[in-house]
Amino acid sequence: MTDALITHEQDKVVVKTATDVVAATVGPLRLSLREALSTGSSHLVVDLGETQMVDSMGIGLLISAFNSISKTGGQMEIVNASADLLALFKTMRMHQHFRISGK
Amino acid sequence: MTLVAPALLDLRITLPASLNAVEEFFRSFRRQHGFVSRPGESFVAELLLREALINAVVHGCGRDGKQQIYCRIRRRGANLTFLVRDGGEGFDWRKWHGRDSAATAESGRGIEIFRRYANRYRYNKSGNCLTIWKRFSQEMEHD
Repeated sequence: MTDALITHEQDKVVVKTATDVVAATVGPLRLSLREALSTGSSHLVVDLGETQMVDSMGIGLLISAFNSISKTGGQMEIVNASADLLALFKTMRMHQHFRISGK
Repeated sequence: MTLVAPALLDLRITLPASLNAVEEFFRSFRRQHGFVSRPGESFVAELLLREALINAVVHGCGRDGKQQIYCRIRRRGANLTFLVRDGGEGFDWRKWHGRDSAATAESGRGIEIFRRYANRYRYNKSGNCLTIWKRFSQEMEHD
């Protein structure tokens, strides 16, 4: 199964995850995010519509993507997060870094 | 992986110290048991146990799939207890205890998750056995 689908919408690059963002999947997802960032787009969107769980390593991966795009002056947002994930991201203060919206 | 369930909510599990084994366990567990019936509570319970197992795999056993991790899951009414033990030399939990991760740090959030979501957690002295207690707000119903 493909771990993520990368598409382009105007000036945005969208990475739609097809799995949970957890320890066992951060490796392939990191490659997908790197590929998305290599396009030079200044706006990264991570669509978590198909994701039920994000663990601490998944949070680390999302922060890593944010750090990368921030270095080039770009921005990042997370969309389609479940209510559980929204609560987790807020608890872990991720909403201080980038915009996060739910389903 | 072996899954032994001597009682409905007193599960004793041993699994290889690999990330794929952890995923396989959760896929199976979601199908067969689930922790609790309420979705939000089930998410929190899974998150806590995931962090415990991942710490054991990564920090306790160095992702050495030849090593084994022992896990016990107990539920008594609204109280859920996880015990996770590995055969490694132990995780240096004191390094992370009581600390929030730096805002843009890309690692180091596992113990912060325990602190924020569990009622209590305790490592043994050597750091290779972790117990987590979580009390939910109401009597839990099993699926």
